[in-house]
Amino acid sequence: MSIKGNRVAVIGAGMTRFVRRAEEAPGELAARAAQMALDDAGLTIDDIDAVCLGTAPDAFDGVHMKGEHLIAGAGATHKPYLRHYVGGGTGVMSPIHGWMHVASGKFKTCLVVAEEKMSPCNPHPAGAFLTIFDHTTEQALELTLIHIFGIEMSRFMHVYGYTEEEIALVSVLCKKNALDHPAAQIAQKITVKDVMNSPLLSWPVKRLDISPTSDAAVAIVLTNEHIARTHCKAPVFIEGVGFRLDTAYWCTRDLGFPNYVAMAARDAYEMAGISRPADQIDIFEPYDPFDYKALHHMNALLLDKTGRRTKELLFSGALERDGSHPMCPSGGALGVGNPIAATGLMKIAELYFQISGQAGKRQVKKDVHRGVAQAWGDLMQVGTVVVMGSEGAMPRRKTFWSEAKPEDLAGTALKDVKDVPHIEYTPDLRYAWDNGYALTTYLDGFKNGKIRGSRCGSCGRLMIPARAFCEICNLRPVTEYYDLADTGTVQTFTLSHVNWDSSPLPKGQVKIIAVIAIDGATPEMGLCHVLSEIAPKDVTWGMRVKAVWKPQAERTGTVTDIRYFRPLGKNEKVDATPAPIKPVELDAATAKAYPGRIPMSYVYTAGLGGSKFFTDLAKGKLSGTHCPHCDAVHIPPAAFCEYGMIALDPKGGARALEPRSGVIAAFSIVHEDRAGHLLDEPQVVVQVAFPGAVGSVFGRLQTKTGDTIEVGMKVELVRSGKAAGPEHVWFKVRK
Amino acid sequence: MEVVVMGIGFCGSFPASGGLSYRELIARAASMAYEDAGLAASEIDGAVSVEEDFNSGYSIADEYVPDQIGMARKPIYTICGDFLHGIASAVMQIRTGQFKTLVVEAYSKASNVLTKDEVLHFAYDPAFGRLGVTPHYLAGIEMQHFLGSSAYSPADVAEVVVANRSAAIGNALAPYGARLGLSDVLGARPVATPVTELMIARPADAAVVAVLGAADAATNARRPVRIAGTGWASGNSIIEHRNHAYSSGSMIAARMAYSEAGLKSPAEECGVFYVSDIYAHRQLMHIEALGITKDALPFVNPDGGALGSGDMYEATGGARFFDAVKMLRGEAGAHQLEGVARAAVHGWRGLPTDSCAVAVLEATE
Ligand SMILES: [Zn+2]
Ligand SMILES: [Zn+2]
Repeated sequence: MSIKGNRVAVIGAGMTRFVRRAEEAPGELAARAAQMALDDAGLTIDDIDAVCLGTAPDAFDGVHMKGEHLIAGAGATHKPYLRHYVGGGTGVMSPIHGWMHVASGKFKTCLVVAEEKMSPCNPHPAGAFLTIFDHTTEQALELTLIHIFGIEMSRFMHVYGYTEEEIALVSVLCKKNALDHPAAQIAQKITVKDVMNSPLLSWPVKRLDISPTSDAAVAIVLTNEHIARTHCKAPVFIEGVGFRLDTAYWCTRDLGFPNYVAMAARDAYEMAGISRPADQIDIFEPYDPFDYKALHHMNALLLDKTGRRTKELLFSGALERDGSHPMCPSGGALGVGNPIAATGLMKIAELYFQISGQAGKRQVKKDVHRGVAQAWGDLMQVGTVVVMGSEGAMPRRKTFWSEAKPEDLAGTALKDVKDVPHIEYTPDLRYAWDNGYALTTYLDGFKNGKIRGSRCGSCGRLMIPARAFCEICNLRPVTEYYDLADTGTVQTFTLSHVNWDSSPLPKGQVKIIAVIAIDGATPEMGLCHVLSEIAPKDVTWGMRVKAVWKPQAERTGTVTDIRYFRPLGKNEKVDATPAPIKPVELDAATAKAYPGRIPMSYVYTAGLGGSKFFTDLAKGKLSGTHCPHCDAVHIPPAAFCEYGMIALDPKGGARALEPRSGVIAAFSIVHEDRAGHLLDEPQVVVQVAFPGAVGSVFGRLQTKTGDTIEVGMKVELVRSGKAAGPEHVWFKVRK
Repeated sequence: MEVVVMGIGFCGSFPASGGLSYRELIARAASMAYEDAGLAASEIDGAVSVEEDFNSGYSIADEYVPDQIGMARKPIYTICGDFLHGIASAVMQIRTGQFKTLVVEAYSKASNVLTKDEVLHFAYDPAFGRLGVTPHYLAGIEMQHFLGSSAYSPADVAEVVVANRSAAIGNALAPYGARLGLSDVLGARPVATPVTELMIARPADAAVVAVLGAADAATNARRPVRIAGTGWASGNSIIEHRNHAYSSGSMIAARMAYSEAGLKSPAEECGVFYVSDIYAHRQLMHIEALGITKDALPFVNPDGGALGSGDMYEATGGARFFDAVKMLRGEAGAHQLEGVARAAVHGWRGLPTDSCAVAVLEATE
């Protein structure tokens, strides 16, 4: 093995249940997973030198800078803390980032936490994916993740010759494996027929091809070799890591084979001394947000572009737990659930359980020396890979994890977020994106009924969209601009029955989304758009199409100035020669910004601590939570103590406080509302302490003009009588 | 293993930057950094970017990182924090021995964010912190706590604004250079008392890119600057529990960086300090946590700080880092200090956090 630097081991893991809607707040989920991982490792939070946390888009949890929001829950109070993310690849990036902390020699121990709470998104988390697309060139097409999955799955089937039924085998396998996982959200015995009969969302993607959205947190403890051998009978070492991020210009990507995953795998294998992955790796946890993805990723993890080996393994049953190459023995994202970042770390935890002999009913039949876990994400763009192993396969052991049952894990499933105290919130998130030089000319093209590109003088690519520099030629300036033909060839497509926010299209309506290579551009370079004037069943890979433009007067300089692409007539002539043009000169009139918006809205649970606070407040009461670690009463009520990282019980551990005993600890007279507009009347924000409790409560003070406010003034909490939320927290001065 | 800054690039800062897309803005800074490092993008092993989704306007903003730094298909990840957190993460990564050279990138297109206060309000805890009023309220609470528990007065806070905006007059990269009086600052429009409008750094657009390398791989670098120590830490994210008079995050981060750099009395051993001043009172809080006294003020933020050059979101500490590297090479121009061999650079994540990072930099000749 060729690892330089310090060896790094996993010595403990923790996780909550994976549920569609959790009552716990994001920090409360993280805290329970962190505490469990510490317990499993036999360490306390004081033994932890640094914390790193993985979580994917902020738009899920619905908190700007959500990494900062999660500090206390991740056990990082007063510690070195970093949050990292690479979209859906985040979960497996998490142990890699943690590995850096320890392998560098900077820290002896690192707590790695991954959290995702997707349920606050209203009406559906899928809405968060609208804004993963380029704001200036793609968002107007109203795409979402299911669409690009459909596009990729269709390309994958076309290239490797899979049928939908064959791909469904993966869904059947994972959901069955998950029956033995204590955290599983949708473990079940299903058949290929069930998958085929499940609702069609965006052909070829059906409901049961997809993993569910989930809320959960997972944590692991990483240490250097010395601590690992001191504290742990069966440390599992990180033997290799790899991560690669491809260009954001996804329309030019090979969607059949994920080269970036293979490159990441090769990096990890090189570090781990693996040259023949199919022979040298015992178990595989490829990322499986959709069933075909597991196969797509297996091709890359086996470094097999022909795809033959994966096919053989799938059809021969070798991917089963008792097979030669067990795949997703955990149950994967398809069975355990898919709280994006937490899923990847769950796969790492599974390698730890399997290699250390603690997987219980999920333990695979063969001896396990070494396993690989992988995650994937962004715009079909990133691969993260970790190889883990131990000195030898461990005997099967009876531990907490081998015996764990669902009821041993934290995580309270709700039917509806509105069944508990909750807060509705809609942020006003508006933007205007400077188009800059290249996109000014590109968008001006649409206005003039032209698709425009620019040519790199070094690699010679004629690129769409036009760009000012070449991303693969050391940022070489790109100065030649062209008008291209508005005809092209369908590379791949999906037949969608859903909108960007996951709501169904009107019955009978189908949106055909395709990646189209434009004539005259570099081969396979093109754009994503919709097709029309053709029956969905007649769309094929390789069909020729032509743009249908809006009338000139209606065009505004956006990709939707092309209404759609239609089939090119058999006898229609095409002149594919690019015509050189003079790019648009930038000045105060032409340098425009493209309008953008993040159209999210949220319904948050108040969390276990918040529920207690707001239930009390409605009745004019106040309580704190007794903490045995601090031997103190914390306010506001809390489900964990961030100093000792122990669970607290906001109900059982409640200590009544006198709501009329508040004292102003600090105040600020504010003159603007949350959007920065001037208030008609200034308001007073107060931070209020209560005798007998550690902590404070923030709220607003009811005042009349002329009132003087001072630190130390006595105030009382005003009974809200209604819904939860910080805007209902009011104080008044005690007479 | 010694890690050095091989090259550094900056584009900005501008109150607005119409005519440059964010890609073009970053590519400009990256080209400068690569030229300075004597490397082509293709010769660099990987990249760390520092971004937040809602500042960039994307969900999973890391998608849009590789192209404008010329790093597609390389090992890249994104972290959240100040640019200095990115530096700290990259230094660790190089010290694993698996990477020789890395790029660190952060940028701001603050002018493209039309609802900045809404975005900041959205950073507060949905259950307890979003009071429906200006998100600067916590700055008011902090400043009141800080003044109440220290010897500083509101005039001292105003003095920070006067000093930094005036220092920025000599910095060609700082758009907010101005000569103000104490009464201008104290008497400015109140936003969240005692914080006035002039005590808050104005937003700006910029991109900053640094190339780091293991010292033995940095042979092409024209004038490498050594990263002698890095530290980072976060205060309590539960604002109800945080001590608002003191920046614990800064103190812990500084101790870590000083100890790694082998500094015993950093106030004397560092010739210059760059300290986050996104809010004026925070500069005073930070210098206290960094263990320096008010007397050292002439050597704090000689470039004008964020008050002089702008709040550039994640890139804010990057502007200080850029100036520190230039300063240690004797290339800071009009505000060059004489005989500076070591600098401490501090960055803060902004409200509602107390997440801070510190890097100690040393000239190599
Ligand atoms: Zn090129
Ligand atoms: Zn406690």
